[in-house]
Amino acid sequence: MVAFTLNGRPADVTADPAKPLLWVLREDLDTLGPKYGCGVAQCGACRVLINGVSTPSCIVPLQSIEGADVVTVEGLEDEDGTLSIVQQAWIAEQVPQCGFCQPGFLIAATELLARNPDPTDAEIDDAISNICRCGTYPRIRRAIHRAAEMARA
Amino acid sequence: MTRILSRRAFLLTGAAVGGTALVAGIGGVGYLATVDVDGLNGGAVDGDTAELNAFVVVHADGTVTISVPRTEMGQGIHTGLAMVVAEEMDLPFDERIRVVFPTAAHAAYSSWFNVLQVRPEEASGPVVWLARRVLGEIGFIATGASASTMSLWHPMRVAGAAARGMLVAAAAARLDVPESELRTEAAAVHHDATRRSLSYAELAQEAATLPPPDDPVLKPREDWRIVGRAQPRVDIPAKVRGAPVFGMDVVLPRMLHASIRHAPVFGAGLAIIHNERELRAMPGVRDVTVINGLHVAIVAESWWQAEEAAWRLDAEWTTTEADNESSATLSLRMKAALESESPYENIDEGDVDAALAAPDGRFVEAEYDVPHVTHACMETMNATAILREDGSAELWAPSQNRSTMSAGLHRGMDWAGVSPEEVTLNVTMNGGAFGRRSDADVIAEAAFLAARYPGRPVKVMWSREEDIGRGLYRSQAAGRIRAALGPDGLPLAYDARVATQSILNSVAGRNFPFNPGPDGDALSVEGLDKPYYAIPNRRMHSQNVPSHIPIHFWRSNGYSFNTFFAESFIDECATEAGIDPLAYRRSLLRDSPRHLAVLDRVAEMAGWSTALPPGRGRGIAIDECYRSVVAQVAEVTVSDDGEIQVDRVFCALDAGLIINPDTVIAQVEGGIIYGVTTALMSRLTIEDGAVVESNFHDFPVQRLANAPAIEVSLMDSNEGPCGVGEPGVVPVAAAVANAIHAATGRRLRSLPLAITEMIGERRTRSVLQQGDA
Repeated sequence: MVAFTLNGRPADVTADPAKPLLWVLREDLDTLGPKYGCGVAQCGACRVLINGVSTPSCIVPLQSIEGADVVTVEGLEDEDGTLSIVQQAWIAEQVPQCGFCQPGFLIAATELLARNPDPTDAEIDDAISNICRCGTYPRIRRAIHRAAEMARA
Repeated sequence: MTRILSRRAFLLTGAAVGGTALVAGIGGVGYLATVDVDGLNGGAVDGDTAELNAFVVVHADGTVTISVPRTEMGQGIHTGLAMVVAEEMDLPFDERIRVVFPTAAHAAYSSWFNVLQVRPEEASGPVVWLARRVLGEIGFIATGASASTMSLWHPMRVAGAAARGMLVAAAAARLDVPESELRTEAAAVHHDATRRSLSYAELAQEAATLPPPDDPVLKPREDWRIVGRAQPRVDIPAKVRGAPVFGMDVVLPRMLHASIRHAPVFGAGLAIIHNERELRAMPGVRDVTVINGLHVAIVAESWWQAEEAAWRLDAEWTTTEADNESSATLSLRMKAALESESPYENIDEGDVDAALAAPDGRFVEAEYDVPHVTHACMETMNATAILREDGSAELWAPSQNRSTMSAGLHRGMDWAGVSPEEVTLNVTMNGGAFGRRSDADVIAEAAFLAARYPGRPVKVMWSREEDIGRGLYRSQAAGRIRAALGPDGLPLAYDARVATQSILNSVAGRNFPFNPGPDGDALSVEGLDKPYYAIPNRRMHSQNVPSHIPIHFWRSNGYSFNTFFAESFIDECATEAGIDPLAYRRSLLRDSPRHLAVLDRVAEMAGWSTALPPGRGRGIAIDECYRSVVAQVAEVTVSDDGEIQVDRVFCALDAGLIINPDTVIAQVEGGIIYGVTTALMSRLTIEDGAVVESNFHDFPVQRLANAPAIEVSLMDSNEGPCGVGEPGVVPVAAAVANAIHAATGRRLRSLPLAITEMIGERRTRSVLQQGDA
């Protein structure tokens, strides 16, 4: 059994220790926000925060997260359902199209803004490597800047 | 799915809500009456829901469910068409509106526009009437060809107006006043003289028992408050919570999971599995089975377990005649087809041969080509099916086509010798589609496996490697265009030829017992004919080049290569004539004011006449597609070592009447990025009959760091709504190639324009291919 914290609540999972966290979340913990997009840490649709670090969960074995603090897209909002600033900025800029990859982008942007409250375009380019086939990149860039602005207000 | 139901609630009740909310039978059959033709009539009451017609259900709590029978795959159609209904009903466009994809195949939902190419608002006559009846009866409901708004905006306007009329009639009866004294606003009917108001929720149960108005009064455009003004998308709040149910997210009790390994060479099948016992002994594995004699399915208690076993599959596949095919052999066949003595003649106007034989003429000739590419939707192909013990079947799939869902379900169950009694089809949210999800391949696989495990749902999901390497493709293509230039430098004759594998033939070959396409299918030549350019002599030929590779619809189909060919070629003609590419096109558009206005708009946006520093260049391209006119200017920077970056793309679009402007802009932005990826980066390699590429490391795509900045301008237009899902893709490859020519003097005639390599784990660098000077 591996115990960790998922979106603020304790989670105990009995599964193959080699099972990637993505599939633990989706199949054992009914947490379907993180998506399978490539399985090889290329696309970022599966990104979650592990101890605050944006990580592709498709390549993280269950056994490595004992005691860790894991946050998925479902955990970005408050207990009362208030959306995080990043989520609000995503709505304000009407970012998602199909929306499939957006959980990973939201996680990556959340981490970026946590360590760099006012990133430049170049810093956004460096930090955000996820793939979106709908082509929402221009709006993602705007939404990150907007979130930075909202956080300062 | 719906905005209000949680994921868990959907899983328990979603199908039931969709099913009972829309149980209408086919309505009256009034000859040629717009409303009755598609069976819009027929209110019904069920508990606290009042169904006013096939599109509108009013609930006792004041919420309104709007049925949008078109797949939401990112294009915002669930918002745009709901806006049309809300406008006509005077519903505030807020969270009280829920949008569902109905499970019933009501005749009014039919995609007959896609077949007849007649706008519903202009449709009349017995032939159209009959075709609408037939396509409605068979439940042909498709999302594609940038046609959803064109196909349904008018019917849904009428539905909204009819619902409003029924609510007004119910209020008139309740208040005992004439309808003419009533007005509607904010989801209520108001009688101003007596200051009485009745909400739609209060009236709906009575309204549903009344006949709809014979001729619903449509709101005049000057009174519109929702349509034409940017509205927030109904699906986005759920999408920032990770809450929507994509096909991949369907979870059902006792569900089994399957991962598939298809034969590497298309058309081959399984010969032998060497390690079946080993695979069966792996944790969670329930079955190793062969689908229709071809593909291996690993069935397990979890998809991860199924995929772990599939990775370890040691199989041999049957040999085929295509085992030695490669990109090189296929390219040679394409080039040879350009020399065909008997191509399909699509157009022959004027006397092209005479102009091309003029002794003192100036001639331009060029050949172009593009490789196979795939869609790479972020959500890999998947479907979930169950065969219940009572013989009924149910399917959940991210699909663009309800008809192919049904066909795929029956096909797969037929492979298992089962014929389901009754079928329920659920269209989930789609994680990208781009044409890919109009095929039923994965659906048939899920149906086959479900038939082997009666009573247990089976979800089939392809790995990314299967999705890219064993899927369906946009064909490679080769084009040759010749022109004779007149004294003014403009073409006197335009002679274009394309060789490619026919899209329609390939689609039909996989899905129909007959093959409807002539040699030159309309989708394979679209974009090559340039009818709006003033060229007196024009000819267009095409040649189908069959291969073993399955070709499918791909965002913008033939335009994705023909517009690259034709608009690159027009630039070459301008170069030969020594005329600026914008001025050259302006002259060619002298009889096409709509196109000229779009071209001028984009040139102005881009500052066409201003100079750029060395190493940078601008290129322009235009086309008409899906009834829209779209022009783009791309701005590129090419470094001394050939590295290319597309810095900015400007786009002007005349898409007729715009329902939701911000969503249209988003579609164009997305189309441009999809098109830039394909133009610069995308190429599938065929070796030994199989696709070599397998995942995003070797099929790279644009990411945020190299995506261009994009500026979109929407034209005011007198046209009805036109298509917007695909036009953004169409001119961009030519615009980028023309910009490269402007920056470097090099004319690149093959896609991809660059060779892209990974630098680090998730970054890419694109360096221009060697081109002709």
